[in-house]
Order: sequence, then C-alpha cells, then structure tokens
Amino acid sequence: MDAHAHAHEMPWIRRYVFSTDHKIIAIQFLLMSLFFLVVGGLLAAMIRWQLGFPSEPMPGGMLLPDEMMAPTPAGAIMLPEFYNSLVTMHGTIMIFFAIMPLLVGVFGNLLIPLQIGADDMAFPRLNMASFWMAFPAGLLMLVSFAVEGGAAGAGWTSYAPLSASGEYTGVYLGQQLWLISLTILGFASLAGAVNYITTIINMRAPGMTWFRMPLATWALFITAILILLAIPILAGALIMLLFDQTIGTGFFLPASDGEPLLWQHLFWFFGHPEVYILILPAMGITSDVLANGARKPVFGYHAMVLAIVSIAFLSWIVWGHHMFQSGMNPMLGTTFMITTMVIAVPSAIKVFNWLGTIYKGNIHLHTPMLHALGFVSMFIIGGLSGVFMASTPVDVYIHDTYFIVAHIHYVLFGGSLFAIFAGVTFWYPKMFGRLMNEKWGRIHFWLTLILYNLVFWPMHSIGIQGHMRRIYDPTQYEFLQPLQPINQFITVCVFALVAVQAIYALNFIISIWKGKKAGNNPWHANSLEWTVPSPPPHGNFELVPIVYRGPYEYSAPDVEEDYWLQDTPPPSETAAPALEPQPVAD
Amino acid sequence: MRDLFGCGRAMVMATAAVFAIGCGGGGGGEAGGGMEEEAAGEEMASPVDMATAGGINAMVMFEGMAPEMDAIDMASEPDCAARYTDTPMAEEVVVGDGGGLANVFVYVREGLDAGMSFPTPGGAVVMDQVGCRYVPRVVGVQAGQDLTFRNSDGLPHNINASPSENRGFNVSQPVNMDTNRSFPLAEVMVPVRCDVHGWMSAYVGVLDHPFHGVTDMEGGADLGMLPPGEYVVEAWHERYGTQTANVTVTTGETAMVSFSFSEAMAANAVVPMGEPIDPHGHAAHALASETH
Repeated sequence: MDAHAHAHEMPWIRRYVFSTDHKIIAIQFLLMSLFFLVVGGLLAAMIRWQLGFPSEPMPGGMLLPDEMMAPTPAGAIMLPEFYNSLVTMHGTIMIFFAIMPLLVGVFGNLLIPLQIGADDMAFPRLNMASFWMAFPAGLLMLVSFAVEGGAAGAGWTSYAPLSASGEYTGVYLGQQLWLISLTILGFASLAGAVNYITTIINMRAPGMTWFRMPLATWALFITAILILLAIPILAGALIMLLFDQTIGTGFFLPASDGEPLLWQHLFWFFGHPEVYILILPAMGITSDVLANGARKPVFGYHAMVLAIVSIAFLSWIVWGHHMFQSGMNPMLGTTFMITTMVIAVPSAIKVFNWLGTIYKGNIHLHTPMLHALGFVSMFIIGGLSGVFMASTPVDVYIHDTYFIVAHIHYVLFGGSLFAIFAGVTFWYPKMFGRLMNEKWGRIHFWLTLILYNLVFWPMHSIGIQGHMRRIYDPTQYEFLQPLQPINQFITVCVFALVAVQAIYALNFIISIWKGKKAGNNPWHANSLEWTVPSPPPHGNFELVPIVYRGPYEYSAPDVEEDYWLQDTPPPSETAAPALEPQPVAD
Repeated sequence: MRDLFGCGRAMVMATAAVFAIGCGGGGGGEAGGGMEEEAAGEEMASPVDMATAGGINAMVMFEGMAPEMDAIDMASEPDCAARYTDTPMAEEVVVGDGGGLANVFVYVREGLDAGMSFPTPGGAVVMDQVGCRYVPRVVGVQAGQDLTFRNSDGLPHNINASPSENRGFNVSQPVNMDTNRSFPLAEVMVPVRCDVHGWMSAYVGVLDHPFHGVTDMEGGADLGMLPPGEYVVEAWHERYGTQTANVTVTTGETAMVSFSFSEAMAANAVVPMGEPIDPHGHAAHALASETH
C-alpha cells in the first residue's frame, strides 16, 4: 500500500486537523500566523491612532470595554494602560506568533522534506505536537486581553522589575498568561527545531550533499540550531519571571535582592539570536527566489552558506548592544560594539552576492521576484541603520527613540515580511495547487512598498529629533509638538498600508479556488519540490529522487531550457544511470 | 494529488467558522447587568436593631497653633494652577476656624459582636480630582463597596493605590471620567497617589462594617448607629498617627468621643498604613484566653 492511499484511509480529523503530514502542518502554521499577522496589524493601527490623534475618540472605540477605553460624550478614548498592552502585544504577536511561525513553521515544514527529497519529517508526531502547542499558546496570548487588568503591558521585551510585579503596571494575570504562553510556544519551537535538524542530517536523498542543498533549507537548518540553543534560555528566564510573579521569588526584583539586569542579559542572550532566527530563513527564501527570477546561479553559493553560519555564530556575542544604556563596563560596551560591527561583514557578503546574482541576469519580474528585490533593498536600509546603533556613542543618543522603531521595522517588515510575501507567493502552488494572481500580486507589492516607506522612513527623522519610543501622548511634551504633523502623516499611511493588505488576503483566498492551475513547475525552478505535483501527494515522492547537481543551475549551457532540475540525470547518464531510483518505503 | 488543495479549502472554511463563532460570543455581554440586579435583590438587611441601637459622634480637635502648610508648586500643570486665585497649599493638616481637625478617619476598631456581618452598601463612595487635588482627601468605604475615582479636571491623572492587604492598582484617567474599584479586605489605611502630580495624595479606610466617619472642618464625625455595648474607637490622622478611646453605647443615646491632636505628636507619630482591622476583637479575645 503506498503512502498516498494510506493517507486517504485516515479520518478527516487525522488528515487535516491532527495531521502528521508536514505539508498540512505547514498550511496550519500558515493560517495561524496569517491570522495573528492581521491581529498584530490591527493592534498597530490602534497604536498609531493614539499617536497621531492622542486623546481623540477612536473610531469603533465604543465597541471595546471600559477597561480599554474611556467613554466620553464624543466617543471612546484610549486608556494609557491599554496603549501599553497594545504596544506589548503588537510586538509579541508579530514576532512570536506571526513572523517566527511564518518563517520557521510554514517554510520549515513545507520546504525541508521537499527540498531534500524526504517523504516527511523525521518525527511526524512531534511535528504535529509542535503546531498543537503553538496554536493554544497563541489563543492564551489573545485571551489575556480579556482578563482582569488586561494584557501584559511591560513591552515585548518585558523588562524587570516592571514585568516582575503587578503593582507597577496593574497587570497581574495578563503578564502571567504572557509568560505561560511564550513558554509553551518555546516548547513548540524546540520540538520543531529538533525535527528540522534531525530530518536534514539524516533524511537527505541520495546525491543531496550539503552543498547541493537550496539556501532556503540551509538557512532553516542553521535557524533550527539557533532555536535549539536560544529558546531554552528564554524559557528559563520566563519561568524565573513567572516565579517572581506568582510564588514570591525575587530573581529580578531589587526589593528581594534580585537583579533586574539579569533579565536583560538573559532576554537579549536569547533575543539577539532571535533576531537572526527572524531573518536567516528570509535570506534563504530570497536567495532561492532571486536566482529563479534572475535565471542565474546564486553568486557565491559557498560564501552564502558560510555567511549564514558566520551570522549564526556571531549572533551569540552581540547581545550587549541592546544594553548600552543599562549600565555596563565601558570596555565591555566597546567589545559589543566591535562584535556588532563585525556581524555586518557576513550580512554585507550576502547583500553583495544577491546583487551579484541579479547582475546581468535575465530578470523575470514576477511577484515573488519583486518581493525578493524589496527584501534586499529594505534590508540594506535596515542593516545600515543597525550599524548606526552598533556605535555606542550614537546609540546612547538614539536609544529608545523612534529611530530604533524604524530600524526594527525595516528589518522585520521590510526584511522578513517582504521575504514572506515572496515565499508564500512562490511556493503557493505547493500548498494549494494553483498560482496567485500576478496582476493583483504586483499591485499589492508596489502599494505596500510605497506605503511601507512612507510609514517607517519618517520615523528615522522623528527619532533623531528625540521622539521617545514608548509614549502614550507625544503632545504632552512641548519639544515633540512640532513633530505631530509627521505623526499624523505616519498614522494615515499606516491605515492605508493595513487596508492594502486586504488585496493580498483576497488574492490569497480567491486563488485557492480561482487561481491558475500551477502544474509541477510553474516557475521553471530546479529544486526537488518542483519535480513533484502541485500540491505533492502524501509521501511527496513516488520514487526516492537522486540528486545530480546543485539547485541553482539556471541557464546552464548543457541543456536547452534555462533550468535544470536537480534530479534530471546528466546527458551522459541518461542511457545508463549510475543509481536506480528506489521506491519510497511505506 | 488534490488532497492538499481540498485541505486548503477545508482549513480556510474551518478558520472562518471559528471566527464566526468567536464573533458570535459577544451575545452574552448583558450578563453583567443581570448580576448587578440580582446582587441588589439579595442585599442583606442590617443586623443592627434600630430599636435598641445607640450612636457614636466623634469630635477631633487640634491643640495649639496649626502648622503652616507648604505652598504647592503647580507650575508643571498650568491648567490646574490657573484654577486658583491664591497659591494652593498642601492639605496634610487642615484645621477649621473653631479648632476642629479635618480629614481624621474615625472608626470602631474593636467591640462588634463576632457573629455580626454587614451588607455591602449599594452606592459608591466618590473621590474626585479637582484642581489637581483629591476631594475628599480621606474617605471610608466598606469592604467590597464601590469606590469611584472621578477625574473632573479633564487632564491626565493616574490613581496609584498601594494597599498591603488588598491588591494594588495603578490606573490612568486621561480625560474626564470615572473609574470604579473596590477593596475586598478591611485595611486602614490605603494610600493613594497620583504619579503625574507628585503633590496629590489621599487615603482610603476600608472596614468590614459601616461604623466609621471622616471629620469635617469642625472636627466632627458621625459613626452611625450601633448595638449597645463597649467599643474601642480609633482616630487616624496621616501626620499625627492614631489615638484610641473606649466608648459605651446605650440604647437611644448618642455617645460622644473626643480626641485631641497637637503638632508635638508629629515627631513620634507612627502612622499605620495597610493594617488589617479586627473590629470583632478576635485578637483581644485570643490574648485573653492565652492569659487565662
């Protein structure tokens, strides 16, 4: 009995809800994280309303409870505590429940087995458990909005002692749910990471050597190692903070001889690798899409792999640059400044290699390619502002201003999210069997790119002028009042940016039914996922594929087409192949 | 081959169904109103037999010259400063023309029958914020009773309550609005302050009975009608600490209890905050039993 037939015998709930198929789990992660992306976007819109029009009635605010909004005759006005919750939950939801599961949960699950020629993950049940831990964790995070005191309000970094005692924020249960939710999500991430690493090391198809792996899979492999090492540190810190909140320990409370700086060290020792967890898969996706769109091999493939590994290594010794203002020996500050600047080197190698990849290419500006180019250009801006902040004297001035808000959004929105748009559009056929609409895809890209820059570019300017990062009402400060027109401009652009995402959402949903049928290889790409039907059947491959070459053999002189699938035997072996394909074991 | 395609559609539909269910959940929003009505219907009658009850009136006087209070610098809040024709003064010690000491919280500390329990009053006690000052500065509430913090200034205040026995809170009021809170446990006193305006502070006395009052400008406070018996009455002042007096209540009579504070008491005063209250005298009984 083949795996495909076996899958059909399973009840619906086992096939689509508690599924062990990596592709179904990828779709589950996709729907979950797109939902949280929408939630995070709406939270951002509310934050921007308050910043653009402080203490003015928010449209629709009367629908929210009195704990969040103050009802006045003119309408409901946002309460400061709710603003704190919004800022905290926007960051938390976007990072942990949108970007991270989109990059790691979706693409890790979808691509790793397909790109290495495996029938599934090494531990399919653990894979299922990973999603079914992540999803309730997300619900728990949302539920915290409804509990007494509201959702956590100490920022997504949850600095102690603000986060360690409800007396400071008035948030008790909400902060505890935040901690419990992220701890559960941490276990989900660990389960996924163990699976990815084991699968890639043990289940590569014959001929799939390390340096024949697509860069998306390479990036996901290194990311999984980062997750495996970083998440336990976060989980430990979260549990310690939960104990401070609930059973009277004082790890981070000065009143109990605790050390608030310990939280910052633990959080950022996790947090900076986390930054690369959020960008490395995006880099891998971009590499795959750029080579496809340029119809050229990735420039400097080995250097790209080594750059990923270097970034991952260096990410462990830069965490102190988040704490230049927190009290640190100046010698140590200088050390962190240097290591942070060093990490720009492998990042720059990747940027130059992307440029080398598209240089003199036969550019196909399809929607994924546009998003990949958007990623590269926005990542350059975000990367350069990162170099600004790596310099201690500069950071002392711009720390906790809107400059850093601009930076993180150029990296996480302009970077990761454009790569996610590229990746979802590119591999959409492998999930739903159809292509997304090209015309609407391009319209969405250009509107998003323009509006995104209108939103985040001015934040550099107001940040340099001293606009604080977490602030409820900028107009209370005389020196910020002249900046208010910029705040209003940003707010209007945010509303437009959020509205434009409806184009993508509609394109995504309608294409499931109405999209053009994709066929096996609609992008004329080379890697193994394009050798199987769209979507691939359970078990992925009828015969174990044999890999003959790397994934970027575009425009090779040896073949007529401008692509060369990894499992197509070379002309010399077509008559008498050295290896016979074997059936997939059931 | 179409498995995943079918799955994708099924998942989108399932997600939509979940959202629809989630959106429909708002239908139960009126439950809170119903519960309020129910609670009002179940309100217990007072256990005090008014036919045999007697009252307690307290009179608190200040001896000597009232200390001169510091001027409040409201320059950081021009809107508030503009509301005063004269320089606003701190209100830590307020003495009336007749020598009465205002803002003293007077309450029955011990002596109530251990078996008595008192219904929570339905109405809310209001503490307003007017001209960047709490009005009144000292209030008494019964445990569980609504306490309304009102912002009549229309500018940002926050209410930072720091009890010891109850759970603290720190809520903001950016505009004219009311915020309701209650304290479930008896505690004298709960300090309240505004972090936006450092000079704003107030106190809330929380008791599990209704026999308390706050002195007015004449120094008087009415503690209400109690069953006949022997009681220990305490007077609390934020600067001068506490004094106690024994009072006998007899049927149909109003017992007078007097306290006198002076500036000399400020030096050695211990001002209790967040002390648990034992109006039924359990601790005294326990001590007496141990002695016997």
